Amino acid sequence: MTTVTAEPEAQLELRGDELLVVENLKKYFPVTRGIVFQHQVAAVQAVDGVSFAVNEGETIGIVGESGCGKSTMARCIVRLLDSTSGRIVFGGKDITKLSRAELRPYRREMMMIFQDPYASLNPRKRVGFIVAEALQVHKVGTPASIKQRVQELLEVVGLNPEHYNRFPHEFSGGQRQRIGIARALAINPKLIICDEPVSALDVSVQAQILNLLKDLQRDFNLTYIFIAHDLNVVRHISDRVFVMYLGQIMESGVRSELYESPKHPYTGALLSAVPIPDPELGRSRRRVVLEGDVPSPLNPPSGCRFHTRCPRFVEGKCDVELPELVTRENLSPTHAVRCHFPLERWPLGDEGMRLDRAASASAPEA
Amino acid sequence: MALLEVKDLKTYFATGDGIVKAVDGVSFSIDPGQTLGIVGESGSGKSVTCLTIMGLNPKRNTISSGEAFFKGKDLLKTSQQQLREIRGNDIAMIFQDPMTSLNPVHTIGHQLMEAVLLHNDVPKQQARARALELLKQVGIPRAEGRIDDYPHQFSGGMRQRVMIAMALINNPDLLIADEPTTALDVTTQAQILDLIVKLQQEYGSAVIMITHDLGVVAEIADEVIVMYAAEIAERGHVDRIFNNPRHPYTWGLMGSLPRLNADVERLVQIEGQPPSLLRPPKGCRFHPRCAYAMDVCRTVDPVLAPVPGEPDHLQACHLDAETKTREAERLLGAFATEASAS
Repeated sequence: MTTVTAEPEAQLELRGDELLVVENLKKYFPVTRGIVFQHQVAAVQAVDGVSFAVNEGETIGIVGESGCGKSTMARCIVRLLDSTSGRIVFGGKDITKLSRAELRPYRREMMMIFQDPYASLNPRKRVGFIVAEALQVHKVGTPASIKQRVQELLEVVGLNPEHYNRFPHEFSGGQRQRIGIARALAINPKLIICDEPVSALDVSVQAQILNLLKDLQRDFNLTYIFIAHDLNVVRHISDRVFVMYLGQIMESGVRSELYESPKHPYTGALLSAVPIPDPELGRSRRRVVLEGDVPSPLNPPSGCRFHTRCPRFVEGKCDVELPELVTRENLSPTHAVRCHFPLERWPLGDEGMRLDRAASASAPEA
Repeated sequence: MALLEVKDLKTYFATGDGIVKAVDGVSFSIDPGQTLGIVGESGSGKSVTCLTIMGLNPKRNTISSGEAFFKGKDLLKTSQQQLREIRGNDIAMIFQDPMTSLNPVHTIGHQLMEAVLLHNDVPKQQARARALELLKQVGIPRAEGRIDDYPHQFSGGMRQRVMIAMALINNPDLLIADEPTTALDVTTQAQILDLIVKLQQEYGSAVIMITHDLGVVAEIADEVIVMYAAEIAERGHVDRIFNNPRHPYTWGLMGSLPRLNADVERLVQIEGQPPSLLRPPKGCRFHPRCAYAMDVCRTVDPVLAPVPGEPDHLQACHLDAETKTREAERLLGAFATEASAS
């Protein structure tokens, strides 16, 4: 394997047949001053050292609050944005530095579904054109076969193929999202990145779209990277889940591990903030309410990025030393957490989240 | 006596395509200090119901009928002049989008003071002190330093707090919150919901919470109204709605929700789209999407009637009680077994 400038924590154990490998991906947006003589005064650290591998046919869920770098990361992976540093390996090929022409065959393999079905479809183009565009760009088939393919796709996503000639405004939000999915499916991609595909939809329509995505995955052996801020939705659809905060992965694990025994205080706080549609359970549960807002990624906190809001903050440790995303002795090898003082058990209330100082002093790594 | 009593409220909008029946015969009441949750999909008439009560619909193309008695006064027959005195004073509203509901060219202090000065004959200093007090209560850090900031200097969650401060500044008897947390992250949503509950207990206000999130309703509401296509499908106490749902639409909503504590391979989905309110379906409005639809559903609109043995639990569905009990138990049983298995 070629050498990369990777920090120790970024080294992944790879088997070699992963569909996508992201290594120490960073994306900084420069902040400049001056009109003629521009100079960089700061950088927004939107994504700061994210590493993970995606296997074929699985669904990766990425959760986090707005501004944590989820979407930026997705855009870097499909090369809609150029990353500042790090590597993106797709199907064994490093695509990080490929030119537009070189990238083209790989663009066929990864597609994106966007959040807002009202903004992501060109209002002046007919649905048939929108879905067919990828086929035309990649010069797949004759006009007649393209039309047939488009109608087939519309049927696959549950729309009437006769609606080929309609405009996006004639469809409801859920139907538009189906058009977006048909567009993403058009050239048989391997990987689909779904950037909040259901957050703009009503619950009943959301269920339809989630079911559709699952069916398509089964039928076409798709791999999903599913980005959402709704933890229920991510739990429903994902095999593995990453929790992001300020551009870094805070905890990663197989769905059941992460949701049933979260180790990072941030994951715990997120989970306990989700409203439960069961009045008795909701009333009896102890909730952890985080104070304040997410700090600015322009000037992220020193040490652990979560320390400013963390109920288990220990001075002199958390604000100095950046914890690594590592698995622990008592955790399964798939479960990794970026915390000096991971949670011992779950569920915990506000009180339980606070660190027992005496216990931590004697065994800080326990 | 009920604080607000709404009877057979109807709101029709005249549009180029015909008459849209946005609210079609909605009745409910709310007691002082109570929290009423109104759930439904977009376009089901939740927001229009509240806008009608507040008299905020555009006059030109709106036809409203029915009654909305607030402290013995029918709000639908009150002049705009008198309504202006009630709004922001006795009834206050929090809107969904904190990004667009604050005026970007005035400081938040100015906007908060405006609400005080409009309804009370007090000197400016006192209004400013009151504004500051509220900002502190809703948990704005360094309130003294931030009172002269403009809305763009606040984050989404902070702006929503400012909106809440503005709504509560005159100790309203009724607070209408229209999807106050939809645009926010879960952690911020939890903060805002906690805040609304805390302030409600302090001020004794009644709250109408409009939302599409059944989780939010389960957490904070006492009474729940489930709306579908401009009508009430089911209404009752929160425990009854969640433990003994009696309407197929409520089942659909509950089944379509992915849950933290249950692994479901496929979500129950309600087929199709909500109907157009220009030409709502004949009979029961839910019948084209209902898995239990019978012949009678296609012709006769069911009336909102009490569930046998539960006088306060109303539902509008033709299905017989036995089938309903069986289906509701099956649905809830599915959640329970999945929760214990996982």
